[in-house]
Amino acid sequence: MGDQKPETEGYVGQSVRTIEGRAPIMGKATYTNDINFPGQLHAHILRSPHAAANIKSIDTSGAEKVAGVVRVVTGAQAAEYIDPIPHYIDPAVFGGRSATIRCLALDHVWCFGQPVAVVVAEDKRTARYAVSRIVVDYEVTTPVIDAEDALKDDSPMVVPGWDANMIMQIPFGGGDVAKAFSSADRVVKTDVKVHRFSTQPIETRTYNAVYEAGTESLTLYGTVQNPHPLRHVLSKILRMPENKIRVHAPVIGGAFGMKMHGHPEEGLVCFLSKLIGQPVQWVEDREECLLIGAREQVHSVELAVTKDGMILGLRDHYLANTGAPSSCPGWGMAMLTGLTMPGPYSVQNLDVQLSAVVTNKPGWNASRGYGKEVTALALELSVDNAARELGLDPVDMRIKNFIKKDQFPYDSPTGLIYDSGDYEGVMRKAMDIIGYEDWKKQQEEAREEGRYIGIGVGFELTPEGGTLPGTLVAGYDSSTVRVAPDGSVRILTGVTTPGSGNPTGIAQIVADELGVRLDTIEVVQGDTTTCPYGFGNSSGRSTIVGGGSAAKAAIEVREKIIKVAAALMEVGESSVTMKDGIIVSGDKTIGLEEVCYACYTRAYDVGSVIDPPLEATAMFKPGLVRHTPNEKGQINPYPSYSNAAYVAISEVDVNTGEVKLLKFSVAHDCGNVINPILVEGQACGAIMFGIGAAMAENITFDENGRQLTKNFMDYVMPRIGDVPPITLAHHDSPNPVNYKGLKGAGEAGVGGSAAAVVNSVNNALSPFGVMMTETPLTAPRVWSAIQEAKKAQPQRKVA
Amino acid sequence: MSLYPAFARPRDLGQAAEIMGSLSTGAMIIAGGQEVMPSVNYGALMPEVYIDVGQITALKGISEENGAIQIGSFTVHRDVQQSDVIQNNLPLLSYAAAQIGGGMQVHNRGTIGGNIVSMHPLYDILPSLLALGADVDILKDGEEQRMALADLMKDASHGLGSESLLVRVLLKPMTPDAGWAYEKLKITAGGYGSANAAAIVTLDSDKITSLRIIVGAVSALPVDISDALSDYRGQAWSEHLAEEIEAKASAAIKEPLSDHQGDGDWRRAMAGVMARRAIEAAVKRAG
Repeated sequence: MGDQKPETEGYVGQSVRTIEGRAPIMGKATYTNDINFPGQLHAHILRSPHAAANIKSIDTSGAEKVAGVVRVVTGAQAAEYIDPIPHYIDPAVFGGRSATIRCLALDHVWCFGQPVAVVVAEDKRTARYAVSRIVVDYEVTTPVIDAEDALKDDSPMVVPGWDANMIMQIPFGGGDVAKAFSSADRVVKTDVKVHRFSTQPIETRTYNAVYEAGTESLTLYGTVQNPHPLRHVLSKILRMPENKIRVHAPVIGGAFGMKMHGHPEEGLVCFLSKLIGQPVQWVEDREECLLIGAREQVHSVELAVTKDGMILGLRDHYLANTGAPSSCPGWGMAMLTGLTMPGPYSVQNLDVQLSAVVTNKPGWNASRGYGKEVTALALELSVDNAARELGLDPVDMRIKNFIKKDQFPYDSPTGLIYDSGDYEGVMRKAMDIIGYEDWKKQQEEAREEGRYIGIGVGFELTPEGGTLPGTLVAGYDSSTVRVAPDGSVRILTGVTTPGSGNPTGIAQIVADELGVRLDTIEVVQGDTTTCPYGFGNSSGRSTIVGGGSAAKAAIEVREKIIKVAAALMEVGESSVTMKDGIIVSGDKTIGLEEVCYACYTRAYDVGSVIDPPLEATAMFKPGLVRHTPNEKGQINPYPSYSNAAYVAISEVDVNTGEVKLLKFSVAHDCGNVINPILVEGQACGAIMFGIGAAMAENITFDENGRQLTKNFMDYVMPRIGDVPPITLAHHDSPNPVNYKGLKGAGEAGVGGSAAAVVNSVNNALSPFGVMMTETPLTAPRVWSAIQEAKKAQPQRKVA
Repeated sequence: MSLYPAFARPRDLGQAAEIMGSLSTGAMIIAGGQEVMPSVNYGALMPEVYIDVGQITALKGISEENGAIQIGSFTVHRDVQQSDVIQNNLPLLSYAAAQIGGGMQVHNRGTIGGNIVSMHPLYDILPSLLALGADVDILKDGEEQRMALADLMKDASHGLGSESLLVRVLLKPMTPDAGWAYEKLKITAGGYGSANAAAIVTLDSDKITSLRIIVGAVSALPVDISDALSDYRGQAWSEHLAEEIEAKASAAIKEPLSDHQGDGDWRRAMAGVMARRAIEAAVKRAG
């Protein structure tokens, strides 16, 4: 493409092509699994076939006899050398129960799929075969599968020694809830059940550890979102200092939160390499990838409303089935669901309570939306239900209750401080671009032909860039900008990319701030040895803090370049400008390379006005975050509040229950946009997630807690042919405190789009009186809801 | 179960018979590999010997002779779709082969024989072959035996085993006036079906002269409901008849599957819906 720079000012705001190039799209990038070493061994893990059992004995002799097997390790053996896995977000920091998590189970397993032993062999097939030769004597105990059952008095304990199957109960809210409910015209109750579904990157997790005995140092090449914090975790597990560990995250084939750390295999693979003294690789298979859960929650939302649709108060005591304890940050999703209530709605009387329950299902990890998608589902399904009960238009009811654009910054009853927004404007734009009114006409015409078209809306507030006190979930980050003697630029960031394109966004920012061409910039990320200390990728933070810190560093370096350029041209600094690598003062022009070379080589004459080298490291810490609790003990962990509205048009085949999506629109506010096409890619991806969530993706278990979902035949994700045309618009309210007014753009949309789909199906089936508030809306479920509605209302004339 | 499997590649049916006769269980016949290899990669299958039948020319190709059509068991779906012989004489089969999921790779490598002997309840070819009254030739104990496909499909638990080899499928051309349809209900593009039905009907003006409907993907094996519909022969086609066929097709499913594709009640109901849609489309085509 050559120079992609358009005619307009600067790179920021332009849809330039990603600097990562075509390789990731074509699968040609060098992923962790492509990095191989001489003498590399392969690990395969024996996992528990039971949801709950005591391990009486393990006989590894059969596996050890298999030719090609190098080592077999049980939990008891591993515990001699390695320590438990530190929590990414320790519940104890927030007053909850904290379990000890080990890489391999010791004498008790608490979920299906929990690692019990590991075989290291010369090749993958041998390792897998040898695992089948390990004999474990389990004493199977009664598992707890359901969150409600887990809270019964006679329930077995998931974690031996705990007195309740609960990580913690947390209340959120404030105001006078009792008064709001007593003064309401109606209380509309909606039970929203969100099922267990996860994220499924094309690239499963892979860890490739290389221990060097000579230097007593370890390098982990891995599918890792947060290399520096993982290095800290590994140092604790392996009993090694952090400076002897290097974590390197090559190109990632999708992460979505799943590659945040705390997984047993991270420490385990490093330990095995150290134990054996050879490189060890482990590649997760799809069945293992599907073990990682998320999102399963049961809400009981009560809206205290006036007859004209004002929401006076909201009550929601909800359960999250977070599965067995894990060191991954997944359980925190349940906390964020409550913290983000009541979303975009101006409701100050709020009584929300989370019960984060442990069960004998496999544990959670972070999943795109990080709990905020469930907030959106619970709220948006409840508002639609209330609107139907009140006989109001669901959009009118939303607009009536939205926080108004002149109310920002807005203090939410849970302690959050919303930075900016125009929720009504966003909603109206999403409706305009899809032709909302026209679809209403089409719906009426279709009904006369016996076809059922539905129109559904959903809104999602997505706080982004989060930071939790006392954890390595940080709000700030740093970057280094280096300009070489030839004028080429290298940016090293503490943030990483999950494949979303933030290196391109950061490069665009630096190109503008520094005044150089985009194609002279290289971005290096994901290596604890070369990059500044940073917190990697989470919570839509990378462009906010990676871009903000790189901009500050670029400004420092630019000042040096300008100073030397001025000295070279013998002009005043204030007369010098630099753009696209060309430095101008009046009618004098000088090239960037000439100036940079002088900066490095003429430190004792024209270069003496600066301190070489042309390098700066800067930190960016967004404002608005409040970690000191207010009088109610509340904190605000987020600096930015992205938001978006979704409209889904669907058609339901009432004979089969099939839902076909006809059209989709989204209007999105992520503050100022650095690269529209990258933001749009994120938004479309989130809609795919939302459609999958609403319609099919589901992780299921049998009554003994054994997972039934093992592959993509069972876990049905939407194919491109299932996704309707998506119309997208930006409606940006710049963040008042962040660099360039940025808000996070990586997470938003899973819940809002899922809610739009569910609401569209309910809208399509409103002639039957169907109101489904349990996901996913599979064809069999939609079909049986229609059958039940027909039975309940035989007098109604339908189809 | 072996970590170091042996590989045999017979060059003709004689060699194949010899090899199959000399091996015990643990041998696995492999043709296109679309059924076997995913199970091997997944670790569910570890055959001791692979018998690769891909070099046996007698298993390949489509031919027509004296009004009989033969399809070698190694014929890939793509060839079934595109063959002039099949398109002209057995349009139902050509169409059904095009509905097979899994995309281009499966169409180019998966074989009609593999699709049959795997006896997978969700696969696409069987309902059409049963509706067409196919016969099959099977090589066992060194001899070829001919049998009706319907007789082979009586027991899903057995399959053919490694001691038998499906050689070819034999079919008679459809009559030019026959109306036909294959309807498949699938929830995502490219996914497995949750219910399907193949129908063939002939009409004399608007009166039904013959009617065959096979319903698939709703129970362990496809269900032939044609006998239950024999009373309709001689009757005029009507909307009412379509409703009755839907009810009878549902009622014919005694033991519906209940799996990730959907629960039993829904599958049973969908058997009816697919049967109805198939017969409606077939009648339209015949008319």
